Formats: sequence, C-alpha cells, structure tokens
Amino acid sequence: MLTHHSPEPRQPSRVVILGVNGFVGRRLATALSDKGTAVAAIGRDKVDLAADGAGDKLVEQLRLDDTVVFLAALTPDKGRGIAAFLANVKMGAAVCAALERVPPSHVVYASSDAVYPFRAGLVNEESCAEPTDLYGSMHLARELMVRQAVKAPVAVLRPSLIFGAGDTHNSYGPNRFRRMAKDGRVTLFGDGEETRDHICVDDVVALIVLAIMHRSAGTLNLATGRSMSFRETAERVAELFPSKIAVVGTPRQNPVTHRSYDVTAIYRAFPQFRFTPFEQALATAHRE
Amino acid sequence: MTAAPRIAYVGMTHLGICSAAAAASKDFATLGFSADHQLIAALGAGRLPIIEPELDALLEANASRISFSSEPADLAGCDLIYVAPDIPTDNAGRSDLAPIEALLDLAFTHARKDAVIVVLSQVPPGFTRVHQRPARKLYYQVETLIFGRAVERATKPERFIVGAADAASPLPESFAAYLEAFGCPILTMRFESAELAKIAINCCLVASVTTANTLAEVCERIGADWSEIVPALRLDRRIGPYSYLTPGLGIAGGNLERDLATVVALGDALGAEVGVVRAWQANSRHRCDWALRMLHDTVFAAKPDATLALLGLAYKENTHSTKNSPALALLGALPPIAVSAYDPAVEPEASWHRGLSAASAALTACEGADGLVIMTPWPQFKALKPHDIAARLRGRTVIDPFACLDRAACRAAGLTHYVLGAPL
Repeated sequence: MLTHHSPEPRQPSRVVILGVNGFVGRRLATALSDKGTAVAAIGRDKVDLAADGAGDKLVEQLRLDDTVVFLAALTPDKGRGIAAFLANVKMGAAVCAALERVPPSHVVYASSDAVYPFRAGLVNEESCAEPTDLYGSMHLARELMVRQAVKAPVAVLRPSLIFGAGDTHNSYGPNRFRRMAKDGRVTLFGDGEETRDHICVDDVVALIVLAIMHRSAGTLNLATGRSMSFRETAERVAELFPSKIAVVGTPRQNPVTHRSYDVTAIYRAFPQFRFTPFEQALATAHRE
Repeated sequence: MTAAPRIAYVGMTHLGICSAAAAASKDFATLGFSADHQLIAALGAGRLPIIEPELDALLEANASRISFSSEPADLAGCDLIYVAPDIPTDNAGRSDLAPIEALLDLAFTHARKDAVIVVLSQVPPGFTRVHQRPARKLYYQVETLIFGRAVERATKPERFIVGAADAASPLPESFAAYLEAFGCPILTMRFESAELAKIAINCCLVASVTTANTLAEVCERIGADWSEIVPALRLDRRIGPYSYLTPGLGIAGGNLERDLATVVALGDALGAEVGVVRAWQANSRHRCDWALRMLHDTVFAAKPDATLALLGLAYKENTHSTKNSPALALLGALPPIAVSAYDPAVEPEASWHRGLSAASAALTACEGADGLVIMTPWPQFKALKPHDIAARLRGRTVIDPFACLDRAACRAAGLTHYVLGAPL
C-alpha cells in the first residue's frame, strides 16, 4: 500500500531516470517530458552502474532533492545466474552509495513480482515476498538496500509481466507471441494452462508517473487484477492477424503455476487511474 | 441477603444501556451511571443516544425501576455493579484499556466494600485477575451484545459465562440471585477461561463467516450460488441452523477484529501457532473491498466520471454506528465523483468524501446516477422495488452485496445486479 507525501499531484524539481534505454525507461522519459517535467536521462552509455567507480560517476549526475527512478537492471533474458545476480546487486550498491552522498527527495524503485513465489495464491502487497530465484532475490535485496540508504520517501513498485511495443526483452507472453505469430504459428509451453496477469507498458508508466507526482512511499504491485491463461493470451494475439494463426501446445515439461492479483491497493492509491483494457493495449502494441 | 439486589451499570454505552434496561425488566432496581452529565440528563429525559430496536419500549415499560446518575456516590447504594464501558480499538484491533481501568477504579472507590463488581466489557485474558483488590469481590462476565439484536440478547441470554478468581467457590448471593432471574445456565470458570471463552466464541463465528466469504468468492467465479448452498449446510447438524454462513464484506464491526488481534498477539508472545487467525484477517481485508473492486470493474472502467447512488452508511442495519463501516471504507477509496447517499440513521459527513451529498430518501439518491451501491442491508432498502430504482438510475449497475433487492425482479427491471456469492 502506498501513502502519498503529496496528496495533490505536484511536479518534482527534476526526475533522474536510471535505466532510461530500457523498455519502461524510454516511455517514462517521454511521458514525463510530455508533462513538462525536467528529466535527467541516464543509461548505460552515460553511467555503467555495474562498472567499478559507478557510484562516483553517478554522484556527478545527481542534485540534491532529485526524484530518482531506479529502473536499471539486468533482466532474466540477460542471464539468470550468479553473475547477473552479483552484477545487479553491484548496480544497487553503486546507486545507494550515490544516494547516500546526494540525498534525493524521493525514490521510485522498480522491482518485480519475482519477489513472490508462485505458491503465494492471490497476491497483494501483504503477500510474503519469498523469491524462489536469484532474479527475485536480487530485487528484494535491492529494495532493502534502497530503503536502508534513502531517508526520503521510497516507493517500491513490483510490476507483473509487462507487454507493449518496443519491448527490449523476448519473454514468454504477448510480446513473444506477436513475434511468433508473424510466422503463422504460436507455440505454447504445455497447453498454455498457466494464468498470468499482463500489464501494458503504458499503464506501468502511468502508475510510475502518479507515484512520482504524489511523492508516494510504500509498496505497490503493478498488475491489472485480470489473469488469463497463456493459451487465451495467444489466441487474443492471433486474432490481431489477418491470416489464421495456429496456437499449438507442446508436451508439458514443468508443473502448471498460476498467478492472480488483488489490485485493490492501486484503486486506493490512485482512485482516478483506469487500466487500459487488455485487448485494446494488445491492439495498440500490434499497430505500433 | 433477602431483599433483591440493587444493580448498577457503570458506563452508559450501547452495552450498558441495554443491559441496564434488561435488569430493570427483571424487576431489579437499577442505576445507570455515567460521569457525562449531559448524557445522564438525556437518558433521564428518555432521549437515547443509540438506536436499538425495542429498547425505547423496554425502558419506558420499566421506567419506575431504572434511574440514571452522574454522581459516583450513588454507587454506594448498589449491591452488584457492572462496569461496561466501550473498549476503544485502534486500526490494528488493539484495545485501549485506559477507559475501563479508570471506571473500574471509580467503582472500587465508591462502591461499598461488600458490593460485587463485575467487568462486563471485552478485556484481554489476564486483565481481571491483575485488577483484583484485597478484600473486594471482583468478577468477569462475558457479554455477547449484537447491535440490532441487543435487547433480545440482554433479556433472553443463552447462558451466562462468569469468570472468578476461584471457580469452585459459589457466587455471592446478590450476583447469583440476579443471574438466576434470567433462567438460563450459568457457567462459572476461572478468570482466564471466561476471558478466553469470549474470544473463542468470536473465533468460531469468524471461522464460519470466513468460510462463507471464501467460498462465496469461489461461487462468484465458477457460476455457483452460495445462497443455494447455505440451506444445505444449515440442515447439517454438525454445522447447525444458526451458524454464521451469510457472506459479508469481511468481518466489519471492530469487536471480532479485536479478538483476532488479541489471539495473534498472544500466539506471537507465547509461541503458539496462530497462522489460521492471520489468514482470517487477510481474507477479511480482501473481502472488505469487494464493492470497490466491483465498482471499478463494472462502472468506472466504462465511465471514469460515473456518478453513484449510495444506500447505507451505518456499519450494519438498525444502528447508527459507523465504526468500521464498509460504506465509509468505500467512500474513502472512491475517486472524486459525485455520490448521493442516504441512510435512515446516519447523516453523510463532508469529510468522508469530497463529492458526497445527502439525499432525502433512497429513491431520491438514485436519480440520474450511473450506478447504485447498497452497503447496509436496512429493512427499508429490502422494500425497494427494482422497477422504481431502474426508472431513476441512468446506469444499469446495482452492486448489492447483501442481496437486499430481489434478483429476479432486478433482472426483469433490466438491472445488472451483483451480489456476494452469486455468479458474476
């Protein structure tokens, strides 16, 4: 649940985006600029957060009372092993060291729903964060690192599976299905029975912007509250193509897992926010 | 003692007033005490600060035997003194015991040394034993007040549960004479057992309600109807005809939450496994927001600036209490839209929602609204005709968690009617 330090929305003096070249980062920078917000865009080209001395370099980029949005991470498609885990933690350490030296007025940390185990059932912000892989463990560790290093309000946002045009990853779900469908066939793991909650990138960006404008603190899951099976998702994707797309299953290798969200905390935190309907967001991504 | 004991109730709360009226109805001379002069003056003039069916008539019929006072010295004339203030709780369900400790001290100070003092409020296990005083008679008695049914519960109790320092010793003559006048079993046990018995009753009720709430949600998603299942459960002797199986918006009210918080705190402090109680709490928080989620899914998703009619503000029917009211929790989470509200006993307050306005009647609230939410199952709302509602609503959505309206009539009127435990 989030609490707002600015009950009425307020422009921050400047927003620093760490990880601006990623899927969410690019769109966030555009959305903030469109709102007239001063943005300092920092990608790996400017500061490689995993490199030695990154903290010192980042200090040079920060100002007192910045709002810092920490998006930068090596995502699972870049590696799920120990090396990626350590690199991500090293990035977290560099950011925290810089934030200790140049205190911000607000930090938004983009975590992941990987902090929750699949046996968590209906997930809300009170669900036990008990990651079962190194990627989730990394995010949980970085959440704690940021909260320990920063005295200002910290909003930890834990997005579910994000989809939309411009996805730099190729994770299993709507984005990969769209790429597969171009070849006339979408192949599922098993029969695609698993249910997941897919949130479109524009909704994620809108929620981050709201958290920035309200200087929110606390934890919020970014999900829609509507889960559907991968098969249904694939069939929705297939409907976007003029020719018939085959959605085919494969022999199941892993047990079926499900994930659903109780998104009441989003309704409470941002009563005026409305989710983009899944089909609409899918069609938008398809057009783009 | 041969004369009938004179009874006092200290703390003119819902519990204290109803219990005092019940005592008078059993022919006991009864004193209602509160340090609040204005409250006592109002009670003396027959003006009640609470709404409770049949209470006005009960007090009027027994007016000759009941008096009210704000003078502590008047307690010296009483043989049996119940201490019955409200125990405030915070948002986490933790009790503030300072008010009862103050009133208990007042009772000890002003009662005669031979008078029996009984703690009637809901206190955590261990409270009564540590508040004993040398050469004084202190007991604990379980209260099972139910708002809206308080007179029935006070005049026709199922049983009395009494906590004593020594459960083997007979009750003092005045105490026994009073309790026996109600003609029900009297169960005497040690303090801690009686204090925990109250919590045990509430835990059993919560277990039933949470079962209903959990399976109601499953019903909504698989096309089953919980209202069809309940009669089958009530006919099962192991479950019973009076079991709490009606689904609700969590376990609103405060007292049940208080007991769950007490059990969790005890379990944590003493190393007992109380995970199931935490699960009840989590389920209650989840179901409390059912109407909010329904509104977002069925009204706001299509029309972000929708206007609403809201019927019911009290936390349940037949009371003016809004403590832990689901309606107020809903209002606190609504976007800044126009909300026209009506409750038979509660006036809307501007601080609850910036777009809130008061309607003069239920149907007036519906005029031109995009959706209707019925958050308190007042009998008046059950008498509303869906056709009349449909004629006034601009939208078609009726969110009616407690099924106040007839579902077939809603369908016939062209309304989309959402009920707890019914297929969505």
